[in-house]
Amino acid sequence: MSRHDQRSTRLRHRPSRAIPALIAGILLLAAGAALVWLSVTRLVNGSWPTVLQGPSDWLAALAWNDTAVRQIGIAAVVAGVILLLCAIIPGGFSALTIDDSGTGAGDEAPPVREQEIVMTRRAVAHLAKARCVQIDGVGSASATATTRRVHLNVTTSLHEPGDLRQRITDAVRARLEESGLSPVPQVTATVRSRD
Amino acid sequence: MRQNAGTLNRTWLAILGILCLAAGTALLLQTNGTLQTLLSTAPAWQSVVTGDLQAFLAQPWVAATVLVIGVIIGVLGLLWIIAQIPRKNRAGAYRLHDDGSQGFTLCDPSVLAAAVEKQINTLPGVVTSAALLRGTARAPDLTLKVTVNDRADVRDVIHRIQTTTLPELSSALEAPLQSSRLQIDVSGRTQSTGTVVHSTGTVVY
Repeated sequence: MSRHDQRSTRLRHRPSRAIPALIAGILLLAAGAALVWLSVTRLVNGSWPTVLQGPSDWLAALAWNDTAVRQIGIAAVVAGVILLLCAIIPGGFSALTIDDSGTGAGDEAPPVREQEIVMTRRAVAHLAKARCVQIDGVGSASATATTRRVHLNVTTSLHEPGDLRQRITDAVRARLEESGLSPVPQVTATVRSRD
Repeated sequence: MRQNAGTLNRTWLAILGILCLAAGTALLLQTNGTLQTLLSTAPAWQSVVTGDLQAFLAQPWVAATVLVIGVIIGVLGLLWIIAQIPRKNRAGAYRLHDDGSQGFTLCDPSVLAAAVEKQINTLPGVVTSAALLRGTARAPDLTLKVTVNDRADVRDVIHRIQTTTLPELSSALEAPLQSSRLQIDVSGRTQSTGTVVHSTGTVVY
């Protein structure tokens, strides 16, 4: 069901919605298994399981304007909206594009009809962190990256960081630029002095 | 590298969402009598089940129908769960020459992928790599995942792949690549092949 005719798909993609799909798939499987068990019991024993007695009595006494029907309707609407939102909200891209025009391949263009070069968000964060910890004054650093923004949380032993934040953002931006990311994500940093 | 069921998930989530939304809206309209006014359905005060439910359930065809519906729903759910497993969908054997009168030449794409990986692993800054070939011998698709160390010159690695690895693969297959997809990952580890020298020292002025 997830085959793509043995062709490659884009590496820079949006979330696959695997978790809502798994939940829905498990619910469908459970519902199907329950129906099969009920019907097989009926076919083998000649009578429906006793567990069905309560729900069938409740259903027989139910009127359309009962509160329970309204609650079921509201639950169905809420579930429908959640499922639709899961399907419609696009989510962020998994990776950032690298522009290969600056790699010097120009004259020796590779024999490729369609080309895609990406760097994962995790890789961008790792690259930013690695460049950051090389800067004098940086004690430790952690980085998070989206397709548009890289944020660094930096701890320094300096009592007065001064222009450290500026030096960090400049150096990290330069490193991302020289890596060929296009567009280069905005780099921000939070610097805290270690007490 | 691996492919997932993104399109399938979005499609089925949307279908189920629309069905749930439509059913819930219809139920709410029925409870307050609006649906009766619009479509002449049962009045809101009436029972949901008008006939004898026990007699209906006692009919033999009901159990068979429920069984069929249960199997269909269960199988669809199971297939949907299985589809979540990411797949490589690698190519079958490439048929380099398929002239029946002169014999066939088959090539396992994993052999070519291993050669590509071996070559890329020797590039400066590359920690490890994984190559996957899809498509056919005449229109091959290459997907590469290259992990470089955090001090590597990323552009240089890309340049070397584009100017040596891809042309050599294309030359081996005697066909241009239909597509080439390269994913760069960054690791704190050092290169596993070649010689890596960790330098430390004191600068004396």
